[in-house]
Amino acid sequence: MARNVSKTIGRGVVAIAALLVIIPLFWTLLSAFKNRVDIVTPTPMLFFTPTLDNVLYVLERESVRAGLINSIIVSGCSVLIGAIFGLPCAYAVARYPMRVADDIQFFVLSLRFLPPVAIAIPLIVIWLDVGLYDSRIALIVTYSLLTLSTTIWLAIPAFKRVPQEIEEAAFVDGYGPYAIFFLIALPAAAKSLIGAIVFSFVLVWNEFLIALMLTTSDAKTLPIVASEMTQLGRDVPWGILNASVILLSLPPLLFLGVLSSFLSSALKTRKQG
Amino acid sequence: MRLATSLAALSGALILSAGLAGSARAEAVCSHDLRVLAQPRDGLTLLEKYKDEFKKLAGASFDIDYLNENDRRAKSRADASTVGKYNVYYIDEANVALFASSKWVAPLLDYYPKEYDYADFDPGRQKVATYEGKVYFAPLTGGGDLLVYRKDLLDKAGMKPPTTLDEFIADVKKLHDPDHGVYGIALRGQRGSGANVWRWMPYFRGFGGQWFDGNTPAFDSDAAVKATQVYLDLFKYSPPGTKTGSWDESTGAFLSGEVAMLIESTPLAGEAIDPKVSKVVGKVGYAPPPSPLTGGGYAHGLAIGAKANKDEASKKCAGLFIAWATSKENEKRRLDADQFGELNRSSVMTSDEFNQKFGADLGKALAETAKVTAVNFWQDPEWPNLGDHWGIELEELIAGTRTDIKGSLDELRDYAKQLVANRKS
Amino acid sequence: MKIRTKLPIVFTAPTMAALAVLAFVPTIDAINIALQNRDLSNPDSLYVGFANFRALIDDPRFLNSVSVSVAWEILTVAATMLVAVPLAILLFETTPPAVRNGLCVLFIVPALLPRVSAAFVWRFAFHPLFGLAVYPLRLITGQPIDLLANPHTAMFTVAIVDVWQWGLLFAVIVVKLLETLPRQPFEAAKLDHARTWEIYAYIAIPMLQAPLISLVFVKMVESLRAFDLIYVMTRGGPGIATETLDMYAFSQGFIESGRISYASSMAVLMMAATTIAFTVLWRWARRWRET
Repeated sequence: MARNVSKTIGRGVVAIAALLVIIPLFWTLLSAFKNRVDIVTPTPMLFFTPTLDNVLYVLERESVRAGLINSIIVSGCSVLIGAIFGLPCAYAVARYPMRVADDIQFFVLSLRFLPPVAIAIPLIVIWLDVGLYDSRIALIVTYSLLTLSTTIWLAIPAFKRVPQEIEEAAFVDGYGPYAIFFLIALPAAAKSLIGAIVFSFVLVWNEFLIALMLTTSDAKTLPIVASEMTQLGRDVPWGILNASVILLSLPPLLFLGVLSSFLSSALKTRKQG
Repeated sequence: MRLATSLAALSGALILSAGLAGSARAEAVCSHDLRVLAQPRDGLTLLEKYKDEFKKLAGASFDIDYLNENDRRAKSRADASTVGKYNVYYIDEANVALFASSKWVAPLLDYYPKEYDYADFDPGRQKVATYEGKVYFAPLTGGGDLLVYRKDLLDKAGMKPPTTLDEFIADVKKLHDPDHGVYGIALRGQRGSGANVWRWMPYFRGFGGQWFDGNTPAFDSDAAVKATQVYLDLFKYSPPGTKTGSWDESTGAFLSGEVAMLIESTPLAGEAIDPKVSKVVGKVGYAPPPSPLTGGGYAHGLAIGAKANKDEASKKCAGLFIAWATSKENEKRRLDADQFGELNRSSVMTSDEFNQKFGADLGKALAETAKVTAVNFWQDPEWPNLGDHWGIELEELIAGTRTDIKGSLDELRDYAKQLVANRKS
Repeated sequence: MKIRTKLPIVFTAPTMAALAVLAFVPTIDAINIALQNRDLSNPDSLYVGFANFRALIDDPRFLNSVSVSVAWEILTVAATMLVAVPLAILLFETTPPAVRNGLCVLFIVPALLPRVSAAFVWRFAFHPLFGLAVYPLRLITGQPIDLLANPHTAMFTVAIVDVWQWGLLFAVIVVKLLETLPRQPFEAAKLDHARTWEIYAYIAIPMLQAPLISLVFVKMVESLRAFDLIYVMTRGGPGIATETLDMYAFSQGFIESGRISYASSMAVLMMAATTIAFTVLWRWARRWRET
C-alpha cells in the first residue's frame, strides 16, 4: 500500500518534470502565432485568432535570411573539417598503441576547459589584423577548433567499440592499414560516428559568444540575429521574437532522434567497453 | 497663411521627388544596396514600406539592422572603430562627438542634396547634430522633457499640475496608491547614459551640478549626492519593472494607466493620445518640467559611415538615402500615421494638420518646455564611457546592492580622471 | 594486430598540428594583448607590463564578478546533480520501459535548444506583467513580480534555466546508466527487505560513483559557459548581481568601452585558473578511478 502511494507520488513528480519541458515550449510555439494584443494580457490566453504575420515577418527579413545562410555555411564547413581531420586522428588514437595517446586525449579534452572569452578576445585582434574580422572564413577556422576536439573526443570510444576481430580478419585477407580504416572501421562504427558528428554540429549551430564577438554584420549567424531580435527594446514585438526563436531551434531538434539513440548506445556499451 | 505655406512646401516636395525619380533613371546614384544600423523606430518601419520608391530614386535598395538603444550604441561603436561595414549609422546626442572626432562619420551637408532643405529641421536638433561647426546627422527624432500627468487623477485629488520640484514630490506621494493600481511616478532604472543617467541628469543639473571644470571632474559634488538621493527616494513610488527598465517600461506603465505623473521625453505626449497604444487618451495633460529641473535636450538621426563609403560616389549615395529618409514627404507620411515622435521639420510641426491632430495644448507645452531644454550631459567624445559607467553604479544603487552614494561618485571621479589622462597621452 | 605502418603519424600529426595552432596562437596572443594597453578602436598600443593585472586587483567589479562566477558554478553544478539523480531514480522506479524511453527523448529536448532560445523562452515566461511562469504568483499576491530585476532572485532564476537544460539531460544519462547495472544486488537487497531509497543510497549510487563524478566534471566545465543565458536574460544585472567573469570581460571589451587589453587580462586569469583547477581535478579523478 505504502509502496503504491510513493509510486504515485513518484509518477507525479516525473509528470511535472515532463510538463516543465512541454509547457514553455508549447507556449512559445503558440505565441509565435499570436497578435501582440493576445500576448500582452494579464491573464494568459489559450484560445485566440492565430496569425501568420510573425512567422512571415521573420522569414521575409533580409537579416534572418543572411543569418540562416551564414549559419548553414559556417556550421557545415566546420563540421566537415572536424570530421575529415578528426575521425582519422581518433581512429589512430583508438587502435594504435602510442606513447602520446593519453596526452592527446587529455589535450583534446583540455580544449573544452578553455573559456570561450579567452579565445574570442585575442581572436578579435588577430582577425582584425589579418583583415578577416567579420568573415565566414574566420568563423569557420575558429569553430574548427570546437568541431575537431569534440569529434575526436567522441569518436575515440566509438572506434574502440568496433570488435578488433573484424579488423584482424580483414588484415589476414590482405587489407592494408588505410583500407582497413576506410573500408572496415568507418562503416562498422558509422552509427556512433554520425552521432558524434551531429553532436558537433549542434554545438556549433548553437554557439553564441564567439559569433557575437567575431562578427558585426557580414558573417552574423542565426543565434546572433535571433538574440538581436529578442533584445529589441521599443514596444517589444513579442510574437515576432517567439517566431524567430522557433526558427532558430528547429535544426537542432531535427536531430533529436539521432542524438538520443547515440546517447543510449554510447552508454549501453559502456560496461563491456 | 500657415496652410498656404505648408501646402506649398508639400507640393514642392512632391514635384521635387517626382523630378528626381525621373532623372534617376538616367544615372543611378547608388551602385549597391545600403546597409543601415539603427534602433527600432516607427518612422523607419514605415520607411521600409517605400523601399521601391528609393530604388527608383537611387537605383539601389537598403537594409536596416535593428538593435535596441544600448546595443545599437555599443555595436555601432564596435563596428565603426574596427571594420566599419555600415553605410549609414544611427547616432545621437550622446555619441555624435565621439563619432565625429574619430572621423567614423562624414560631414553630412557635403552630401545632403540642397533640394531636401536641411535648414527646415527644428533648430534645437540641428544644434545637437553639429559638432565643431559641422553637421553630422539628419534628425529622426528629438526634443526635450515634458511633465506628463493624468488630468483625471489630479482633478479628483483637487490638485494643480506642480510647478516646483518640492510640489512635484509631494504630489507624487499623495497620488501614489498601488492598492488601486496607481503609482505616483515612473522612472528609468536600467543602466546606460541614455537610460537611467538620462533621467537622473535633470536633477543633477537642476541642482547646479557640473560635469567638469576644465579637465577636472567636478561632478563629485553635493548637487550630485542630493540628485541621487532624490532620484532613489522617488523610486519608492515607481512601478515594478521600472527598476531595470528604461523608456519602454516607464512609458508603458503610464500608457496602461498605472502611473499618475512622470517626466519623460517629448514623444510620450504623442503616444499618450494614440488609442492604438494608450489607454489614457483624453485624460492626459502636459506641462514643462517643474523647476529647477532642466529638460534633457536630445536628438537622434542618420549619419554617413566613413569607412564603408570609401569614395565620394558612395558617400553621395548614403547622403541621398538620409535626405530621402528625412524628407518632407516622408515626414508627412509619419504625420499621417500619427507618429508624433518621428517629426522633426519646422514646416511639418507648425502645419495646421499637426495642430488639428495633436491639439493646441501640446503645441503650447512644447513651446514652453523648449525654454528650459538644456544640454545635460558632458559634451565630449568620452561621454558614453563616463555615462555608461555611472549608469551601472546608479543601477546598483537603485537595486540596493550598493548604498554609498558619495563613495560611488568618488569611484566615478577616479574613472573620469583616468579617461582624461588617457586622452592626453 | 602488430603491423609496421606510418598510419598513426599520418592520421594524427596534421590534425594535432592544426589543433595546436588553433589553440595556442590565440592563448599566447591573449597573454601578449594582456600586457599591452590596446584599445579596440586604436591598433597602436604600448607594452605596459602587468599594469592591467594590477588594475584588476583594485577593481571591485572584477572581484564581484569572480565571486558571482564561483557562486554560479557551485549553484548550478549542485542543483543539476540534485535534480538529475533523484529524477532518474524516479523515472527508473515508477515508469514502464516504453514510457521511460519516450520521456528520455523528451528530456533531451531542452539541452538541444540553442541556449539563446532557452534563455528567451524563460525570460518570456518570467516577464513580470504577462509571463506564464509567474502567473500563479501574480494571481495569489495580486502584484506583478519581477524575479529577474531583484538582485536576490536574479541568479536563481537564471540558474533554473540552466538546470532545465542540463539537469534533465543528466537525468536521462543517469537512467541509461541505471539500466546497465546488474540486477542481482538489487534482488538480494529486496529479499533483505531493504527500502527503495536504501537500495539506491547504498548500492546503486556507489556502483555508479565513477560515471557520476565524470558528470560533475562535465557540468563544471559547461557551467563556465553561462554567458549566453546571462546575456539574454539579465545582461549581468540588476546592477552587477549576475555579472560573471566572461560577461564582465565582454562588457569591458565591447559594450562599455573598447578596453580589449583589460578584457584580455581577465580572460588570461580565467584561463589560468580553470586550466589549473581542471588539470588537478582530472588527475585526481583518474587516479581515484584507477585505485
